[in-house]
Amino acid sequence: MARQIYEAIVDGILTGGVYALMAVGLTLIFGVLDIINIAQGVLVILGAYLSYELSVRAGIDLFVGLLITVPAMFIIGVVIHWAFLRRLRGRERTSMTLLVTYAVALIVEGILYKVWGPNYVQLKASYVNSSVHVFGFYLPYIYIYGFILAVALIVALYTLLYRTRFGRSVRATMQDETAARLVGIDVNRVAALTFGVGVAVTAVGGMVYGATSGGFNPNSGYDLISRLLAIIILGGLGSIGGALAASIFMLTLESLVDIWSPNWAIVVFYGALVVVLVIRPTGFFGRQAVRAQ
Amino acid sequence: MTSPAEPLNTGPLNTGPLNTGPAIPGGEAPGKEPPGAEGPPALVVSGVVAGYGGGDVLRGVSFEVPQGAITCVVGPNGAGKSTLMATISGLLRPRLGSVTLHGEPLTGRSPRQILNMGVVQVPQNHSLFKDMTVRENIDLGGYILSDRALAARRMKAVFEMFPQVAGWAGMKAGSLSGGQQRLVEFARALMLEPKLILLDEPSMGLAPKILKSVFAAVRQMNANGTTILLVEQNARAGLRLSTRGVVMENGTVRLSGTGREVLEHPEIGALYLGGAVTSAK
Repeated sequence: MARQIYEAIVDGILTGGVYALMAVGLTLIFGVLDIINIAQGVLVILGAYLSYELSVRAGIDLFVGLLITVPAMFIIGVVIHWAFLRRLRGRERTSMTLLVTYAVALIVEGILYKVWGPNYVQLKASYVNSSVHVFGFYLPYIYIYGFILAVALIVALYTLLYRTRFGRSVRATMQDETAARLVGIDVNRVAALTFGVGVAVTAVGGMVYGATSGGFNPNSGYDLISRLLAIIILGGLGSIGGALAASIFMLTLESLVDIWSPNWAIVVFYGALVVVLVIRPTGFFGRQAVRAQ
Repeated sequence: MTSPAEPLNTGPLNTGPLNTGPAIPGGEAPGKEPPGAEGPPALVVSGVVAGYGGGDVLRGVSFEVPQGAITCVVGPNGAGKSTLMATISGLLRPRLGSVTLHGEPLTGRSPRQILNMGVVQVPQNHSLFKDMTVRENIDLGGYILSDRALAARRMKAVFEMFPQVAGWAGMKAGSLSGGQQRLVEFARALMLEPKLILLDEPSMGLAPKILKSVFAAVRQMNANGTTILLVEQNARAGLRLSTRGVVMENGTVRLSGTGREVLEHPEIGALYLGGAVTSAK
């Protein structure tokens, strides 16, 4: 039994890393732009399909392919912001973005069905199905790589936000848009680039998800978005570190409950969200804490 | 008076609430002209109509801000003072009229372009980025400077001008008091060595004791050659500080003149300044 628990914890931590890869973009976009990007789940799947296409058609390694898919998703993000979101203004903006990004999700899903059809596909590579034996556990390479990638990505995002001029303009816009404009920050440009970065990281999440999920199709984004939203709410909306912490917490909890009852695992996943929010309404790293990071 | 504003006593004044506020502690005595040489107009606001949504808040505002002077705009709540500032700084585009700085049009330009032309606004609400340090905030005042060495030199000069701000450099801006935050906002505004600073109610929410240092900082900035357009609810304090005064009412300029003329105008004194000016020491 103890071994099962240890395995569940290790599994939860590694899977949490994969979910963090998908959630950081969502929380970054909300933190800076107050946009709840419902399309993020479908965009993760789009990222997975782009990796699939490069892998199957061109024989490019999944990780090497990120050099193409990340910039491609960045451009797609900027275009989505330019076409659908930049004109939304006023008090109802956040709720309007819910509807607009849902529409974007439907459009992207439609394109995915048109291009790749409804059948499930999976990303394949030598390290997807092989494992390493560590302390008595067989750890799949892809999960280890995914976790390392998640930590590296979060460090990179922190560096971008806290060590660069662009990051300073993002943080300024996040805290006070009017004051940011008054010091000369082009807040529309910051918004477009931030949305682009938030979507670009889904390419990474999509690749790892596509390799670890056991198969995906254009419809897979909807289950993902509900889980990702739960994670970023628990982590504290806008908190990048909170997204990693909440991903690991939620997935570990789900993995532990799964030992006794797989049926209750998903219930506990969302139940934990409710319990934590009752105790701490701002999540692990709520807005005030986020601003102080 | 050479102002393009309406003549004095052209109609009934709005007697709505206006914070006449305390006299500036240690400020200029009534009747004594504040420092600041008055030159040719730096800023000319001409027939500006502007507002939000479908309504006009400014209904044909015209006045001039002389070069090197402190000009104070007073008026009751809803007169359009803050809207005027937003229109000058480019946050709000006017529907009609023009705003020029030394003859160059500001109208239709973005806030960044207007910053580049040398106009910096310190807004009514505290505008520091509260989770950044004071140093980061001041550095952001020079955000549009591409030459980082120049930005570093400017920051050093700003810290020399405001040594107390230099002492707070490593502190989070949100941990400072309201008065301290105002001084940091002033310091940040100076990073671009602006030709004109727009100060929107710098005394708002500050205790009388703090006002002294805030208004002293305004004088200091002006003494260093910066033209200042000040909006102030604390009408007496603002006008005492200023070489020029403009009274706004219902989106129009009710009258304008020297600060002293406006202060001593019987109708303005009675309605906006809580009685005779000389009695309010």
